[in-house]
Amino acid sequence: MSRPSTSAEAARVASRRRLLPRPPITILLVPGLAVMLFAFCYPVVATLAWPPDGDPATVARETGSLLTDPYLLPVIARTVRVAVLTTALCLLMGFPVAYLISRAPGPWPGRLLALAIFPLLLNTVVRTYGWIVVLGGNGLISRISEALGLGRVQLLYTETAIVLGLVQLFLPLMILSAYSSLSQQDHRLEEAARGLGASPGRAFRDVVFPLALPGALVGCTLVFAGAVTAFTTPQLLGGPRERLLSTLLYSRVNVSLDWPSASAIALVMTALVLVVGALSGRLGKIGSTTS
Amino acid sequence: MILRRPFLSLLAAAAFVLMLGPVVILVGVAFTAGSTLAFPPEGLSLRWFRAALAYGPFIDSFGTSMLVAAVSTVIALALGVPATLALHRGHPRGRRIMENLFFAPIVVPELVLGLALFQQLMVGMRVTAVGALIVGHTVLLLPYTVRVVGASLALADARLEEAARGLGAGPVRTFFTVTLPVMAPGILSATILAFITSLNNVPLSLLLTGPGVATLPVEMLNYVQSSFDPVVAAVSVLLLALSVAVALATERLVGFTKVFGR
Repeated sequence: MSRPSTSAEAARVASRRRLLPRPPITILLVPGLAVMLFAFCYPVVATLAWPPDGDPATVARETGSLLTDPYLLPVIARTVRVAVLTTALCLLMGFPVAYLISRAPGPWPGRLLALAIFPLLLNTVVRTYGWIVVLGGNGLISRISEALGLGRVQLLYTETAIVLGLVQLFLPLMILSAYSSLSQQDHRLEEAARGLGASPGRAFRDVVFPLALPGALVGCTLVFAGAVTAFTTPQLLGGPRERLLSTLLYSRVNVSLDWPSASAIALVMTALVLVVGALSGRLGKIGSTTS
Repeated sequence: MILRRPFLSLLAAAAFVLMLGPVVILVGVAFTAGSTLAFPPEGLSLRWFRAALAYGPFIDSFGTSMLVAAVSTVIALALGVPATLALHRGHPRGRRIMENLFFAPIVVPELVLGLALFQQLMVGMRVTAVGALIVGHTVLLLPYTVRVVGASLALADARLEEAARGLGAGPVRTFFTVTLPVMAPGILSATILAFITSLNNVPLSLLLTGPGVATLPVEMLNYVQSSFDPVVAAVSVLLLALSVAVALATERLVGFTKVFGR
């Protein structure tokens, strides 16, 4: 078998084999981009700005009335409050989990991390349903409270129930984000702080936590965005009494068939996620330049 | 560690109880002999598992879920793998913008995307519920395939491919003998992650339903809201068993935390 010996010869062989110029590899992007434009950009923009029985002016008017309506404002406030509480609790409990996993000996980091993220394989109905058994008027907590002589408590269909359910749902995300920062941290920094006389608590506060802040911030953003947009948990644990933006949006579409109003709620929800994402992006930049 | 860090250990223990407690309780409820959601269960029986497997809508919607997950995973890979290859090896102009476009579905609430597809595709263009589900799930999964496959490509040494080309291999041969084996673990991870993500989705699939057509999680949600017997607990335990099997298989194939820990 003979090989072309010079590059000129090789080029001649190549040009003989190829009649048309070879298309650039970037042509492989075309199908994916086309689908994104048709199945994502077009429908989302059309729905947010121009629902079937409305026009941009109607959506603008609906958004305006949404932001001033005495019934709807509490829904927005509740959504933000629930999301902030969920984020704070996830950070409070998820960060210690990530820290202990990152410092665990031998094969334990892998095992514990697997246990912490296993719930991600289950759908949200499976993960949330157990709370109905725990929190209902006839549920576990209520019966324990009754046995203690404190009377029955109905925690189901309250804001507390929604927050508990969402914390359960999003803890794995926080643990993963914090762990990715903590596992890359040089453990000797913490040991150095201890060696220089810092208490374990102080070393944690002044060395470990600040260094893991970028990961924690990513986790907070993910949890907040998830909590604002979650549907199953507020639907099952909040019910019609404690509406959030997502469950309100669903009832506007399915029950009252009010599409311009649904578009307005969708707009507010999307804006909330984008604003918080942009803010945390800025915070992350400031944090990384000052430390 | 636990003794040295009592406060942190307490918080971590609370986190694990919160994450796994409700699931454990649900398992107990599923085996109850009684007919209410009670924990501890009133006697043991398998009657709710029999009831779950005899309930037609769960079987049908499980079929719909599997179909939608399989088809949209395949389409998302067929679109995402070539696009990722072009993004990483083609050095196209406007790469950042195109990458952001592929990642954009992560930022838009799924319920909003579902509403948009319902209005524009199902109402506007008369697309069927299954068609809209496949389109929606493809969009949902594309970011995962682009990111996961991209991560494996970014780690790979592009000079290997240049070496193959320099040694006389054509672009197609280079792709199949060098690039594809390098990407294979990433593609496998993306496939598992995408399939599970599709199978579990609720908010996007919620509005994309038709007469007798819904995905299993949505069917479960509807059932839970209308009746209070433990059938859904039994379905949950069956899904839990499936998830354990998936987790074990994933651990053997690519590593469980590598796939789901991203």
